[in-house]
Amino acid sequence: MTSYSFFFSYIPFIVEGALWTICLVGGGLGLGFLIGVPAALSQVYGGRKLKCMVEFYLRFFREVPLLVQLFLFYWGLFPSIGLKLDPLRTSILVLGLRSGAYQSQIFRSAIESIEKGQLLAAMSIGMSRSQALLYVILPQAFRISIPGWANEYAVILKDSAICFSLGVMEILTRTRYVTIATGMALLPYLFAGILFILLTNFGTGILNMIYKKFRIPGLIGV
Amino acid sequence: MLKVEDLYKSYGNVNALNGVTFSLGKGETKVIVGPSGAGKSTLLKCINLLIKPDRGRIFLEGEEITNPSTNENKVRQKIGFVFQEFNLFNHLTVLGNVMIGLTKVKRIPKEEALEKAREVLNMVHIREDLWNRYPSQISGGEKQRVAIARALAMEPVLMLYDEPTSALDPQLADEVLQVIKELSSMGMTSLIVTHEMNFALEVADEILFMSDGRIVHTGSPTELLSSPKHDLAVRFLRLGGINGFLD
Repeated sequence: MTSYSFFFSYIPFIVEGALWTICLVGGGLGLGFLIGVPAALSQVYGGRKLKCMVEFYLRFFREVPLLVQLFLFYWGLFPSIGLKLDPLRTSILVLGLRSGAYQSQIFRSAIESIEKGQLLAAMSIGMSRSQALLYVILPQAFRISIPGWANEYAVILKDSAICFSLGVMEILTRTRYVTIATGMALLPYLFAGILFILLTNFGTGILNMIYKKFRIPGLIGV
Repeated sequence: MLKVEDLYKSYGNVNALNGVTFSLGKGETKVIVGPSGAGKSTLLKCINLLIKPDRGRIFLEGEEITNPSTNENKVRQKIGFVFQEFNLFNHLTVLGNVMIGLTKVKRIPKEEALEKAREVLNMVHIREDLWNRYPSQISGGEKQRVAIARALAMEPVLMLYDEPTSALDPQLADEVLQVIKELSSMGMTSLIVTHEMNFALEVADEILFMSDGRIVHTGSPTELLSSPKHDLAVRFLRLGGINGFLD
């Protein structure tokens, strides 16, 4: 068997890693969304204490390197509180917390770009503040956020490769195993790079379609 | 219908409202005129409970709405508010803007809400071919009329207009003023803040002049035109190009 055909026999093994990568990205983005929206709302509409707490969270997850956060949670924080989470779950949690910090800024700027008068107008027809946010502000903010969110998808996809440091069986971890097994570096890493490019374009392509479908004529940022 | 008693509101050291008292009967139209910073917009927002007054009381249909136990959202449903900047919801079509209050606040079935929306859009003369357009696809005058329709759809007992034409050119402003005039003549109780003196004289049962957070002068259009007694009234009549009263 030639070294090339030997490498090709490992391709399904690397491709399977893409499922783990998608799992990391999907979990991280989803968790980040669930954290990012309330964090953004707290920053725009919250009281001083809430804003301070959110600011502390944002600073930690935006200013500490991802690798440090992964090690801190996996080797430090979780064992110290007696929590046993596997590398995949820990990685999703950390990616989600980190993405939440960045997503909150995407949503915050989108919310702040909507004229304040719309909130007043919604309340003037009898909506409560939460109804006004739910039916008027957030539907617009989400649409405005889609390009920023597509960018966040690309960032978290690339960040997910760092989870190889915890041994999560994503694309990079598997590629490293293949390089060891085949003694080749160029082809496996090139293939891994191509996989990341495909995943990036696939995800941003879908988000672009959503962006076009929900586009509002004349709305700022859309 | 509406009674405002000794209303005060301040922002830091600035007294926006300094003891405002007046009343508005059912079916009446009163116009508030005054220089910028006189407290006109603050007064309207206090009446709609969008701003909480520091002191004083407001009664709507005999019920005190400044009472802390008042359900503010319920009160706001009864008071239509038209803003200077239209404030239409950009993600909704014309129909969506008018229907959202009915479906989400009043929880009226969609079909019924659509029927009501059609009715009020016809009242404000919005052509049917505009109903499925978004706010950015219609003119300023149309936007303001849609904003009026959105307020009317909630079947308010009182309409508040906060300088509804100041963001519009004269031609578009005229379309909006025409609609407000029609609604007033149909018996809609209205309180209008405007700088359009000609319109005020035409539509108002009484004109209130505000300055420094107080109502400094009131008078019917006839009284004002025959013998304006206050400097502010004279100034605004002159600014409106109405000089006949000096003859």
